Amino acid sequence: MKLPMTRILPLLLSAAVAVPFAAAQAPMAPWEKTLYEAAKKEKEFTVYTAHYNTEEIASLCAAFERKYPGVKCNFVRTTAQVAYQRLQQDIQANTPVASVFSSTDVSHYPDLKKRGLLLQYEPNNLPKMVDSLKAYNDRDYAYVVTAAALMLLTYNTSLVAEKDAPKNWPDLADPKWKDKVAIGHPAFSGYVGTWVVLMKKLYGWQYFEKLEKNKPQIGRSVNDTVTLLNAKERWVAAGPEATTLLSRDKGNPLAVIYPTDGALLMVSPSSVMKNAPAPNAGKLFLEFMLDREAAETQVKSHSLSVIKGIASAPGAKPLEQIKIVRPTEEEITKGIPEVKEQFRETFGI
Amino acid sequence: MSGVSAKFAPRPVAGWQWWRHLDKSSWIWLLVIVVLLLLVANPMARLIIASFEQQDTGAFTFANYVAAYSRPRYVAALFNSLVLGLSAAALALVFGVPLAWAVSRTDMPAKGLIWVSILGTFIIPPYLGAVGWILLAGPNAGWLNRVFIALTGADKGPLNIYSMPGLVLVTACYSFPYVFVFAKSALDLVSSEMEDAANILGAGNVRTTFKITLPLVLPSILAAFILVFLEAIALFGSPALIALPGRFHVVTTQLWQFFEFPPKIGVAAAYAMPLLAITILMFWLQRRLTQRKGYVALTGKGGERRPIMLGRWKWPMLVFCMAVCTLSFFMPMVVIMQAALAKAWGRGFSFDNLTLDNLYFTAFENTLTRNATVHTFVYAGAASAIAVVLALSVAYMVNRELVGRRAGHVLSFLTMAPFVIPGIVLAIGFYAAYTHPPFLLYGTAWILILAFAARFLPIAYSNCSAALRSINPELEDAVRILGGTRLTALRRVVLPLLKRSLAGAFILVFIPGTRELSSAIFLYSINTQVLSVLLFDKSDEGNFEMLAAIGLILVFITVVLILIGFRLLGRDFMLRRTAA
Repeated sequence: MKLPMTRILPLLLSAAVAVPFAAAQAPMAPWEKTLYEAAKKEKEFTVYTAHYNTEEIASLCAAFERKYPGVKCNFVRTTAQVAYQRLQQDIQANTPVASVFSSTDVSHYPDLKKRGLLLQYEPNNLPKMVDSLKAYNDRDYAYVVTAAALMLLTYNTSLVAEKDAPKNWPDLADPKWKDKVAIGHPAFSGYVGTWVVLMKKLYGWQYFEKLEKNKPQIGRSVNDTVTLLNAKERWVAAGPEATTLLSRDKGNPLAVIYPTDGALLMVSPSSVMKNAPAPNAGKLFLEFMLDREAAETQVKSHSLSVIKGIASAPGAKPLEQIKIVRPTEEEITKGIPEVKEQFRETFGI
Repeated sequence: MSGVSAKFAPRPVAGWQWWRHLDKSSWIWLLVIVVLLLLVANPMARLIIASFEQQDTGAFTFANYVAAYSRPRYVAALFNSLVLGLSAAALALVFGVPLAWAVSRTDMPAKGLIWVSILGTFIIPPYLGAVGWILLAGPNAGWLNRVFIALTGADKGPLNIYSMPGLVLVTACYSFPYVFVFAKSALDLVSSEMEDAANILGAGNVRTTFKITLPLVLPSILAAFILVFLEAIALFGSPALIALPGRFHVVTTQLWQFFEFPPKIGVAAAYAMPLLAITILMFWLQRRLTQRKGYVALTGKGGERRPIMLGRWKWPMLVFCMAVCTLSFFMPMVVIMQAALAKAWGRGFSFDNLTLDNLYFTAFENTLTRNATVHTFVYAGAASAIAVVLALSVAYMVNRELVGRRAGHVLSFLTMAPFVIPGIVLAIGFYAAYTHPPFLLYGTAWILILAFAARFLPIAYSNCSAALRSINPELEDAVRILGGTRLTALRRVVLPLLKRSLAGAFILVFIPGTRELSSAIFLYSINTQVLSVLLFDKSDEGNFEMLAAIGLILVFITVVLILIGFRLLGRDFMLRRTAA
């Protein structure tokens, strides 16, 4: 990518000023030093991400720039489908922008890998990863898990008392919630797509036929449920833990319930692109994502830490006390296109 | 425009005889045609070609069309869009024409207030307005429904925004300003003498208005109707927010599905084709309705404009105007402000819940929003300038028949066509056309500026064309007879006469440019973020306080810029009529 001089100058200056400080931080391993030096020559890189909201990726990039001064972290935050579409556009136009691609729709990765578009890179920080998540890495390391979060039951505390709130997924289909349920749409949201696959696996499609009788309000993103609950338009929802709790932190009357039949674990991988304009910076970012600073930033935003030994955010339930479920990767990849169509048949949109 | 023409103006130097007699203006026309081809024809051609191409091989196929129309659900969405477009355009006329007439032709009080609220309405991005209306008329918790329940004791409110009538209302609310501006600028030009003639012949005010005044501005009203219709069926943001929860699809939300992984661009292109056909039909209708009738209101003979005395009808008229503005501006803005100023908007209004942090953070601390703000206004400004220059040139060529009549039709179709292409599809066309040398624009600001210019060219064109049609060519003929060139006539006669219409056209493109979403979302890149994309991202992030804050800042800055514009153009730009 070309950079105008006006942008390069401050970069060079900040690099010159910041390097002594960097040296004062924790000593770098030899591999890290080599990678950092190579990344500095590339000056900046871009990540296309659907993992986070804008604030969270902005603070992750800021943390990266603090840790590795002189390497600028740019990001494009959007939904999984749009991120993927942009990536395809760049590839077709042969104008690569993204060095790192982070989608929440896991079905994107096998396809990209098959077409030889992903760089295989085994991060040095991989041993730090939570063991149960390692199963979701690609065995050739074309993509590795860099984000994990939960989807669960959410409700508005000013409308629903804790004792009345739904306890498990089938409770959402209870007639007492008629006209009071909110969900997202699997055709927009990778989270919702995975959730629909899970519900179908656990309870069969009848689950959605029953749920339909409650006339749930269907948003696009899984995060739309947060808006609907805040507006008091809906009382209970199948929603995301992170966004709901962030909104609660501001003082909104929201709460989450860990379903007794299991919260859905969303693991989202990242990969360095083979045509990356800044492959070394991209690799360095992957390493960064598997290290303490990134994990602490994520935990603060109520995402889960993908590495070991990070305390969860105050008020959040520790992961080991939560029952967690997740369909297999094959079930997700094969299931999402199917359930999108079924969902449209049942709900009419 | 004047800068360009000045460069080509003849110089009084001996030996330049040949040069002097050559009609230099034809070069400009040629240039305009080339730009038009690049801006509109090329992306459109790519679109049509894509609709007949197999995605991977590029081989010729009809399969895209079969895929696009084989399901009842897809066809139903087309029908829904048609209903939406016609109803929204009709409702926009009901809202817009009386307001334009009242502000332009009568002595109704509080015209300034009405005008400012209409300006505000126009500046609110439709998806922001839709969010406001969801809070107002949500079936369970909408403010209006809660008020109704409190007043009547009923157990359910009557309003449900998640329905076709709801979507029609929201769409009409945010597009009736087009009708207002179009009708008003035409009404401003109608001379009272014509009305006097009717009065003298015994017609009352009402009869005169319906028989003389309104028919004279019919071309502008028709143009506005078409514009609103086209905007309504090409809208993505509000249908995504309202139609999906209401369990129905329109063309644009359906198109979104074709872009899902794996994206079916060919099917999307095929599915967009009826929109093009509808545009053609609309233009044919417009021509049929207005042909063989003269609408020249501005002649070389001057004219006088006096307000019509409404008498005791003054107040009912004002009540109507205020009602429209309350629906479209005051109520949604109150809701949006409540959210932007709230620590946690889910808690509702209370003094300990008030904060300026959201606004402060958005305006000063967040570099992302700061850069996006600058981009938004720079791009919209550049795009409007390009669109107005181009539109005026084309309108002039077509209206004065500088090119053949048939070529004129093609040109005016090309100029109007982009509006009906949903922004997402236009973006794909632009993307397909301008990602390869020699036109490598992807990743630069230019691709956004040009896409915005192309997208809103029709607005500039309808405005310029309607304004030009009201100028009798005899004014220019006088210049030509006296030895002036066409460019002199343009510069010294047409431009000064149209100054305010052109400024109006500029603003009419500038405002939708600042809020354009659907094409921007595919064409922006990290260094060219705009506010609309940020807003849209916020709308599915569940971070409503920030969404409202960004929306409020967007609206505020646009209002300030436009008021500065008015000040520069003279106070009488909209508020006071001047005699010709």
